[in-house]
Amino acid sequence: MIRIKNLKKVHANGFIALDEINLHVEKDEFVYLVGPSGAGKSTLLNMLFRADIPTTGEIYINNFSLNNITIRQIPLLRRSIGVIFQDYKLLPRRTVYENVAFALRVLHVERAHIKRQVTQVLELVGLQQKMNHLPSQLSGGEQQRICIARAIVNNPPILLADEPTGSLDPDTSWEIMQLLSKINSRQTTVIVATHNKAIVDDIRKRVVGMEKGRIVRDRQLGMYDDV
Amino acid sequence: MFRDFLFFISEACIGMRRSGIMIFISIATIAVSLIVFGIFLLITVNMNNLADFISSKLELRVFLKHNLSTEELQILQRRIATMTDVKQVVYIDHETAWKQFQDNFKTMDLSDLLEQNPLPDSFRIYLEKNDQIPVLARYLRSFPEVEEVSYQGAIAHRIELFSKFTRVAGLTLVILLTIATLLITVNTIRLTVIARQNEITIMHLVGATHTFIQWPFIIEGLIIGISGASIAVIVIKFFYLFFSIRFQTAIPYVPLVFDSLTLNLIYGFVALMGACLGVLGAYISVSKSLKASI
Repeated sequence: MIRIKNLKKVHANGFIALDEINLHVEKDEFVYLVGPSGAGKSTLLNMLFRADIPTTGEIYINNFSLNNITIRQIPLLRRSIGVIFQDYKLLPRRTVYENVAFALRVLHVERAHIKRQVTQVLELVGLQQKMNHLPSQLSGGEQQRICIARAIVNNPPILLADEPTGSLDPDTSWEIMQLLSKINSRQTTVIVATHNKAIVDDIRKRVVGMEKGRIVRDRQLGMYDDV
Repeated sequence: MFRDFLFFISEACIGMRRSGIMIFISIATIAVSLIVFGIFLLITVNMNNLADFISSKLELRVFLKHNLSTEELQILQRRIATMTDVKQVVYIDHETAWKQFQDNFKTMDLSDLLEQNPLPDSFRIYLEKNDQIPVLARYLRSFPEVEEVSYQGAIAHRIELFSKFTRVAGLTLVILLTIATLLITVNTIRLTVIARQNEITIMHLVGATHTFIQWPFIIEGLIIGISGASIAVIVIKFFYLFFSIRFQTAIPYVPLVFDSLTLNLIYGFVALMGACLGVLGAYISVSKSLKASI
């Protein structure tokens, strides 16, 4: 599903953000990317949906080789990957429903179908009662749920989450992670970048540890501080 | 496709409603630019019209020898009339010329000075192009029937220069103003696009294609352009009506363009230019933002 070979990212100022990254993620897997701030977790996730470009190395996602991907193919790649951002990236002047529906509109989906699918996904994330609210009228946890709903509304095979609980309280963080686990059980590959130790240790999954741009460990059902 | 188009229009309307002040500023800026452009266009057209008018008044005077028969005169008149660039040849016999002369100088008593009519028969020749006057004058002087050829050489030359200048200067000004208006439009619409850069980035991240992102902005640009142009056309129309009537009253012998076809063409051109500038401005602005957000 996802294959990364000898990936390296060196910034213009010479800073090595990623170094010799090799990673293989199977279909339906749930992977935590853990490590301190600046370890390269977000950079690695950005590479996967082509928000950033590697200096050297190869990335293969489903049928796409990201080294040879054309500008026209980038939207197709992104439609197969749902992304959850720490800062939510919601359209502030559109309602919850419009924010989620937007991801389907770009796919030229019919209006009636959009309505059915958005209603279903908002029900899944528990926001069906607030679909006409603006994001600013909702809490951080609820905004993160909108972001999750938007990311999964078109049933992408891959879901990437960059610090999805970064700005949430422990209870809400727990609920969000339960939701991601539930999405994973619906045959979606999930990769979560986090430094939330409690969650990684409680909801045990594959853990890939990163430090200074390198992968330093990779354990099935691992824990945050495994050595 | 039709569904997408409706979506683009609705997105454009939503976008415009949500950035109302920016849209208002854009429309006002385009309107002001097009008003300046339109006024210069009207001035240029009128300058060209004036040059043409003065040109049309220029004439070549061919004075003939005294002993020509009527038949010789008619042959010569026909010959001149068929020459290139000759618009009209008018025959003035020496008696008519003398009468006109006396009418022009009524205050002077010429009877003491001149006992008989000294003026010869002549042709007044009107040409299509002034630059041909010296050439034709030289040629006509070589005719045996011709005594003398006269024309207002210096004036003809100046008017020709003025005519060329108004055409070149007008065209240059129109091109420069088009570029200036385009730059202003691009930058004004760019402000509305920058205000929605976040939206563009999010559209990209959820897999929207460039075309899908561009269309609502282009429709917005079209609406902004047409709105600005409509305001400009109304203002220019009133401006022209107001000033042309006053100008004509003050200086009646200078002709202005009142031909409705020409004026409508100018107004149509300004409107078309507004629409094109709006679309082009939006396209350039949003393309820059798309590159920035890939």
